[in-house]
Amino acid sequence: MLVLSRKIGEVITVGNSVKVTVLSFDRGIVRLGIEAPKSIPVHRKEVHDKIVEMNQMASKTEFQTLKTALNSSSVQFNVNNSGELEAPTLNKKKKIEEK
Amino acid sequence: MSAKGNRKITTIHFGELEITPELIYVFPEGLLGFEGMNEFVLVSEEETEPFKWLISLDEPNIGFPLLNPWFINIKYNPGKKFNADKEVIFSVVTLGNGSSDMTANLKAPIILDIDERKGRQIILPSDKYSPNYIISPNKEKTS
Repeated sequence: MLVLSRKIGEVITVGNSVKVTVLSFDRGIVRLGIEAPKSIPVHRKEVHDKIVEMNQMASKTEFQTLKTALNSSSVQFNVNNSGELEAPTLNKKKKIEEK
Repeated sequence: MSAKGNRKITTIHFGELEITPELIYVFPEGLLGFEGMNEFVLVSEEETEPFKWLISLDEPNIGFPLLNPWFINIKYNPGKKFNADKEVIFSVVTLGNGSSDMTANLKAPIILDIDERKGRQIILPSDKYSPNYIISPNKEKTS
């Protein structure tokens, strides 16, 4: 691991497109400002790890388990009148919310 | 007989499936935790509607149950990264081992581009969406 010391306001560059600025340090909390292209997702590690964990759990689901769960569950879905599965467009959704 | 270019996969979920190339969604980045898997198909099965299944072509025993997030939360707003004109969006559903709660990942939806046949999993910046939002509490646990 590369270890660098930085003062508040100083910057670290990663590659050509990522900049990390130390914004403040207060009571054990470091605030960082990160500039990165949209193609590079930036997230807190615990969020990323949680999603990996949820994906791994989901991937082990068996068809029969879901079928049984559906038959015995109390899941209420907001299915539209026509039972459509495709997502409503956001425009349509906004109209619904305005009413 | 399978047509030219079609692929046959054997899944634990649905037995043998014949996949025509135009059904395949390519995930250039894979899914989080499954970066090596880049080709998936979306499978519907009447018995588990309205859920869909995202089945990996690289490892056909891997299947993710998916649900339209608006079925769970009518006000769900994935933001500007999602283009409703040509994309559909799904939440990954987790049942655990069958004795835990059924949860949906509203924080990291899967987006499929219908025209370009591409897929990706994004993480929404908003803190109001949970990666394990409970859609059905387990009855054995609660009773």
